[in-house]
Amino acid sequence: MLKRILIGIAAVIAIAIIGVTAFGWRSSIAPITPPAPGSFAPAQIARGEALAGAGYCATCHTAKGGAAYAGGYAIATTFGTIYSTNITPDPETGIGTWSLAAFTRAMHEGVRRDGGHLFPAFPYDHFTKLSDEDVGALYAFIMTRPAVHAEAKSNGLPFPLNVRLLQAGWKWLYFKPGRFVPDAGKDAVWNRGAYLAEGPSHCGACHTPRGSLGAELHDKPYVGAAIDGWVAPPLDKTNPSPVPWNEDELVAYLGTGVSRYHGVAAGPMATVPHGLAKLPPADLHAIARYFLSINGAEARAAETPVAIGKALAADKIGMGRQYDPVARLYAGACASCHFNGGTDPNPLRPDLALNSALSLDDPTNLIRVILYGIDAKQGIPGVVMPGFATGFSDGDVARIAAYLRATRTGKPAWPDLEKRVAAIRAAGKGQE
Amino acid sequence: MSRLPPPETRTNPLSRRGFLVASGATGIMFGFSGVLAAIDPAVPGSVPADAKGPSFAPTIWFGIDADGIVTVNIIRAEMGQHVGTALARILADELEADWSKVRIVHVDTDPKWGFMVTGGSWSVWQTFPVFSQAGAAGRIALIEAGAKLLGTSPAQCSARAGAVHGGGRSISYGDIAKSGTVARQFTPDELAKLPIKPVEKRTLIGRKTPALDVDAKTNGSAVYGIDAKVPGMVYARPKLPPTRNGSKVVSVDDGAAKKVRGYQRYLILDDPSDTVPGWVMAIADSYPAAIKAADLLAVTWTAGPGADVSEKMLLDHAADLIGKADGGVELDVADHPASGAFGAGAASTIDAAYTTGTVLHFQLEPLNALAFEKNGVFEVHTGNQWQSLILPTLAKALGVAESKVIMRTYLLGGGFGRRLNGDYAVPALLATKALGKPVKMILTRQDDARFDSVRSASAQRLRMAFDGAGNVQAMEHHACAGWPTQVLAGAFLAKNKAGGAYDPFAISGADHWYAVGHQRVRAIANDLANTTFRPGWLRSVGPGWTNWALESFIDEAAHHVKADPVAFRLKLLTGAGRNAGSAPAAIGGALRQAEVVRRAAAMAGWGGKLPTDTALGIATSFGQERDMPTWSACVARVHVDRKTGVVTVEKLSLAVDAGTIVDPDGALAQVQGAALWGLSMALHEGTTFVNGQVSDTNLDTYMPLRIADVPELDIAFVDSKEVPVGLGEPATTVVGPAIGNAIFNAVGVRLRHLPIAPADVLAALKG
Amino acid sequence: MTSFTINGRTVTTNVEDDTPLLWVIRDEIGLTGTKFGCGIGMCGACTVHVGGRATRSCITPVAAVDGAAVTTIEGLDPQGQHPLQQAWRDLQVPQCGYCQSGQIMQAAALLVDFPAPSDDEIDAVMTGNLCRCMTYVRIRAAIKQAAGAAPVKPAAAKPVAAGAKTS
Ligand code: FES
Ligand code: FES
Repeated sequence: MLKRILIGIAAVIAIAIIGVTAFGWRSSIAPITPPAPGSFAPAQIARGEALAGAGYCATCHTAKGGAAYAGGYAIATTFGTIYSTNITPDPETGIGTWSLAAFTRAMHEGVRRDGGHLFPAFPYDHFTKLSDEDVGALYAFIMTRPAVHAEAKSNGLPFPLNVRLLQAGWKWLYFKPGRFVPDAGKDAVWNRGAYLAEGPSHCGACHTPRGSLGAELHDKPYVGAAIDGWVAPPLDKTNPSPVPWNEDELVAYLGTGVSRYHGVAAGPMATVPHGLAKLPPADLHAIARYFLSINGAEARAAETPVAIGKALAADKIGMGRQYDPVARLYAGACASCHFNGGTDPNPLRPDLALNSALSLDDPTNLIRVILYGIDAKQGIPGVVMPGFATGFSDGDVARIAAYLRATRTGKPAWPDLEKRVAAIRAAGKGQE
Repeated sequence: MSRLPPPETRTNPLSRRGFLVASGATGIMFGFSGVLAAIDPAVPGSVPADAKGPSFAPTIWFGIDADGIVTVNIIRAEMGQHVGTALARILADELEADWSKVRIVHVDTDPKWGFMVTGGSWSVWQTFPVFSQAGAAGRIALIEAGAKLLGTSPAQCSARAGAVHGGGRSISYGDIAKSGTVARQFTPDELAKLPIKPVEKRTLIGRKTPALDVDAKTNGSAVYGIDAKVPGMVYARPKLPPTRNGSKVVSVDDGAAKKVRGYQRYLILDDPSDTVPGWVMAIADSYPAAIKAADLLAVTWTAGPGADVSEKMLLDHAADLIGKADGGVELDVADHPASGAFGAGAASTIDAAYTTGTVLHFQLEPLNALAFEKNGVFEVHTGNQWQSLILPTLAKALGVAESKVIMRTYLLGGGFGRRLNGDYAVPALLATKALGKPVKMILTRQDDARFDSVRSASAQRLRMAFDGAGNVQAMEHHACAGWPTQVLAGAFLAKNKAGGAYDPFAISGADHWYAVGHQRVRAIANDLANTTFRPGWLRSVGPGWTNWALESFIDEAAHHVKADPVAFRLKLLTGAGRNAGSAPAAIGGALRQAEVVRRAAAMAGWGGKLPTDTALGIATSFGQERDMPTWSACVARVHVDRKTGVVTVEKLSLAVDAGTIVDPDGALAQVQGAALWGLSMALHEGTTFVNGQVSDTNLDTYMPLRIADVPELDIAFVDSKEVPVGLGEPATTVVGPAIGNAIFNAVGVRLRHLPIAPADVLAALKG
Repeated sequence: MTSFTINGRTVTTNVEDDTPLLWVIRDEIGLTGTKFGCGIGMCGACTVHVGGRATRSCITPVAAVDGAAVTTIEGLDPQGQHPLQQAWRDLQVPQCGYCQSGQIMQAAALLVDFPAPSDDEIDAVMTGNLCRCMTYVRIRAAIKQAAGAAPVKPAAAKPVAAGAKTS
């Protein structure tokens, strides 16, 4: 998930100047014998499981085809590749010897049991908000997973970026430890949603832009950001979706990965609903309620039927006999799956006029999906959108993107589309 | 994931191909089901059943076994025309067979089958007499034997529904065959003299009977060339040279290809037949690996001729050749040779030039061939339309006698003339010879397009002279295009009386049935086309362009003399002189063409009122060959959008006289398909040469007609007892000119190039 | 390694992740009813169902169907008696037949979404399927005939739940 690793590593330069070696030093916490699984209460484990889902732990801590939580997932960064660690309770290669205190310190402060600093690819800047109780529940869940012996892969970061101690400098500059503080002016549901979004689910890690050294810009929460070759759309009032994201749509999307009025979760978002689905429905509603207070959807409610009407009308554009080569390209390549008739879009026929990817200022998401499709494990479960990268030229993809933008949104044309396609193609599909 | 597998796994053909581990997979059909010697498209897997017990085979064309199963041997390729069913129906009708016991088998290239070709809409026409006689021979022999077994005389017996009936008793054909008592043989002379049933007695011909190959084509069990497999085969994909002819490989670097898991090696083909000069093949364990590897092979060539040729150069060259008085070959068409009618003798003349662009076959199954050697005989398994043409080339390429090469023909995923040219069998055979292993070569769609024997671009010039009363006095038709027959099958060139050789397929249609007085028809080969690519026969061949020019021009002539285009045509279709028609297939001549013109006009409501910018246009054709005419006429109703130039074809009305209709539903299907091909080539498809290659190689830019483009179709056949003739092609040639003529009638602009693009219409409206 | 079900049976394959599903189906599994036409997702000859949805297998990397349920023409109906197949035979739709597996699979998915499709809906959904023999008139008629017949049962395969495994 948080594969956009922090440019913050670059803060090492700052650190060298400040000489934070002393500041950065942390003690080792004594190893323990792994606690017996029976020592945790089932209710606590269950609560931890939901939280682990909400935090997508498995996403980053499981290699493709590997055992769950055994690490080894490659996170490509501009500085080199980082591999996630084994967080199963294996005493040698996992965290079996970590006491609750060591685990809590890692979650709240980003420090390993042995005192080494964790790279901020691990979003402790969000996990620091977790209550002790929730950290305990997560600990119970993790410690009751099967122990898997899997050596950590060594990271491919060059010196001096690989010096963990120097991470302390970044923390000193950007990291504010501290638990979540409820807003007394808001109700309990909102506060629950805020806690989940800001804490375990770390939504801002992708949807809030980062400064030059990789820290989230707290004055620009949720205005959208680039992430791993995708665009994480704005979650605030600047969200451009034709249909406003109301509570029902948010709950549907977060819990299933599909919203009939917005499309499906893809790219780095693809696995998010798999995790969130582990939360009880009330929690999903709480998260939705939190974002509803940010995105202004209620004020835009009247736009919904208009947008749907327009989208269904747009579906008919280019259908039937026509001679525009781009319309024909669209009709041949896309319409068989994306055409909607009737009075309401079929969620299994994602309506492109309503799709967020079409309305964003940046065409990246649309281009990526056209090129690389969506796997069965992403988006609509068990369903695949094939990618057109092999057969379509950059020009073909650019033409379709431009055609969709022109016929289905009132937004200005995307500039330099063909070059964008070429650049995204050159960057490759990546691994999500 | 481009890891190479460890060496030991590479030797096991299963694991090296990443073969499946199937759990609970009973019933899954794994590959390598073997290859087929002959195919019966009606059974799953297409493997013909063995005959049961003694079987009776009075001719090579069919046999009857002890179960009464009649197996009809078909030498024509099945490519959508349900030819096996159509032909078997002819034989079974004469034989009085029980249709439910009729099977068809598409055979191999054993010389005993004679000349094997499927195209030109010849199949039914050529086979009809042969199969009628074979069926009649069988019936007579069975009645004789049956009478004996029933203890009566042949005169007392009759045959019906697969049994001989006489003296109140009956015996089935199967039982007669089982008895082993039929020994009657017929000499060719006897066969030719056998009486054929009167039309009224026919029980199968002309009735709707489901085609025998249709079931397998709805459940995935039909076996096409691309489905042929043999154990131990490797996959090949070519890396195509820069020019179709004369390219030579300078160097090959497979450094990048070697990183592809499953890539084995490359091969530079050494081709004594010069069919595939400059070909390099990527050989791999799997086809996807062969695709990737071929993409990654770095090959340098010296290019052959035509590497710089563009569509414009082809058309300009053709126009130049037409402009020269000498060159080309005159057809012997005129009752009167050309005269000075275009000089002072003419009250008025018209003169117009027409062009058509390059068209791809784009048969849906990309070209492929599986080749291997078995006991010194090379076998090639593929779909092909003209086995007899390519066998000598295959033998030459391999350096073996023709008897050492067998072609086995599978179902064709579309022919349309592409597979008349069997060039694609050559590289597969050369590769198997070089490797000593079976080779499955498949072209990607892009390869297929680049290697296509396209329909050549054409240029034509037509002139007509009139007297003061508007009567036609003389006509000239000059047509220049690439000549497929010259390039691919020189022995089949036609000769005029003066000995000039020309490609009949590249000019047919211009020798029309209109009475135009003095007439000249001149066929000119476009040598630039012939060297740049290998022009192909494409569904209807010459008439695809000659009829575009002819029927547009006849309309221009009608408007010139202010005559109604239907009336004008009827006036010229007099059926007199050389246009009177003759036996066997052209009885009635131009009068039958006049009749389809009248019918199509009536069907379409010719002369009625239509909305603004909407109009009807008519065109007619006799098909391809004057001695085997399929009389066709089409009225197109089109609307032209003056703002966008978009031409919408709202309806096509077609009247067709193809003589006896052996298979009414199949005939309708052929005309539906042909008419829509005509529409597709008129408005939707077409490519251009750029640097010696076609510029559109796949469906992202090549845009044939799709379902949403289909207009209303109204198709009628003339009820006829005349000799049956072909139906696969004529309708393709009338749609384009009917549309062009309708556009003129709708908005007053004359389009003279095919395909018609909205931009052309706009330009014409502005100009 | 990719595991998925095909016509109800589980298969596991270790070909390259980017191997098109089409070739796995045709050459590894040996079900050749699914055809190769264009290889770029523009002709529909390779259409299969993945999770019950019509999917162009030529541009679907096999890794993308990990955990999914694939149905081919051979598995649409065990007896080949899907209402569409019956209508196809009744109206003698196929000519060369090469596109027809894909046409039928696409049409089967169409009928799930549009049980009584209009001409426009047929055109919009079926336009991705090229028939070079131009059997379009009959395809349209057969779809309507099948839609009018017994209720069309959805393809054998249902969407499968996404695995817990994340990638
Ligand atoms: S082969 Fe897959 S769409 Fe054409
Ligand atoms: S039946 Fe031949 S391509 Fe459709």
